[in-house]
Amino acid sequence: MYREMGLVSASTHMPQDDAGLLVLVRRGDEHAMAMLFDRYSKVVYSVALRVLRDPSSAEDILQEVFMQLWRNPDSFSTTRGNLGGWLAVVTRNRSIDALRRRRPVDAVEDMILAAPYDVADEAERNTMMEKARSVIYRLPVEQRKTLEMAFFDGLTHSEIAEMTGDPLGTVKTRIRSALMTLRKAFQG
Amino acid sequence: MNTARHYETDDLALFAMQLLSKDEMAVVAAHVADCQLCRQQVAQFQGDLAVYAMTSEVHSPPAQARERLMKQIAREKKMVPVERTPAPVPFERVQPRGQTIFAGAEPTSSIGRGLGSGRYLEEREAEKPKRNIAAAIFPWIGWAAAAGLAVMLGSLYHERDSLRSAMTTQAGQIDRLSAEAASAKQLMDAMTDPAAKKVTLTKTAATPAPPQPQGKVTYVPEKGTLIFVANNMEPLQVYKVYELWLIPADGRDPIPAGTFHPDERGNASVIMPPLPKGIEAKAFGVTIEDDGGSQTPTMPIVMAGS
Repeated sequence: MYREMGLVSASTHMPQDDAGLLVLVRRGDEHAMAMLFDRYSKVVYSVALRVLRDPSSAEDILQEVFMQLWRNPDSFSTTRGNLGGWLAVVTRNRSIDALRRRRPVDAVEDMILAAPYDVADEAERNTMMEKARSVIYRLPVEQRKTLEMAFFDGLTHSEIAEMTGDPLGTVKTRIRSALMTLRKAFQG
Repeated sequence: MNTARHYETDDLALFAMQLLSKDEMAVVAAHVADCQLCRQQVAQFQGDLAVYAMTSEVHSPPAQARERLMKQIAREKKMVPVERTPAPVPFERVQPRGQTIFAGAEPTSSIGRGLGSGRYLEEREAEKPKRNIAAAIFPWIGWAAAAGLAVMLGSLYHERDSLRSAMTTQAGQIDRLSAEAASAKQLMDAMTDPAAKKVTLTKTAATPAPPQPQGKVTYVPEKGTLIFVANNMEPLQVYKVYELWLIPADGRDPIPAGTFHPDERGNASVIMPPLPKGIEAKAFGVTIEDDGGSQTPTMPIVMAGS
């Protein structure tokens, strides 16, 4: 499934790993940029489409995120996690910004991402997606829906509380618990 | 910044998702910048979110997206930085023990100055200002010129940067407008193409209550162009979506042809969803799916037409 998402990438066994391609992008190599696009465009587009539900807007975010990478490849460094995950989160944040028609909240450079999976291992990477989905589907429905509303719909905890009628504290706890369950599943 | 008091993990999760208010975001960001423990927790939440983000259903971007990006990239070709050799330091020489002396000036230590009568010293003192002024002024003229040049270059650099940025923005707008024009032309071509197949979809189960939901598909198989317009659609539950399906004539599995939500008047449309070219359609159908759509239709088919 990760292969389908275009997440097969960072392995050192591949002819060009992400770090190598980023070095080339830093030197202005357009072909390297095209390879990164081919590798991750599905991830970026899928996340943007999931948030925005509009192909045209999702394509705009796709362009924006990859142009950001082209203009400033140093905004991502390998110490910040894996490129696929980093792009996914940056895309989600930019999509929520677009959804709320607000200026980007943070500089992408500020985001550090502790990857809970081994990006160098292709087999493990390929099973990550299925595993994540199954973990999410096993969550209590309230937790699953609350996380979805917060992450993919960009609703604040106050907005979620207002919509669902649940107390603020409950909403916050559900979000944190859902993420902790996801993390534990990958640590175990 | 007080780092002794840490933020609750619940709040750090919201911070990682950028769901706090602007002021709260700023306060937590300032704390996180100084607090290793909270920073680690935020990084872990970012990692969790990366995994969660990737659970999105997989969609391929439109083919022209790559072309558009590569055009934009070609327009913003990078200037590869040239390795700079360290600039010579003509006016300075560095003394041992960290003393820096301007060339041309006399050493300030007594070593080498010569010791003698007071008169001799006075002569030296008398000569010294002339030589020192010249020695001191000329290097500084050079530095001043260099500084002026640097300021000018900096200003030119910023000017170039802002021009480049403006050009990029305009180029992006041109690209966007071109794409929209091409899309509009394609739409017009499909609407007026005599070879276009026009199918009217009606609700499968005949219910007497008017008005009936109705959908119209205009489909050009050779170009993979499809336009679907529906009206009188019934509202859906939250987290549900209508999905249009193209049922191929060659018996292959139904192909998803876009999802849609009707507006408050029951109107909806799907304009040119990404579809493979050259697929002859046997029929079209509409199902109700979970939000985000599905790759396989979920029964029952609520609307169909062939």
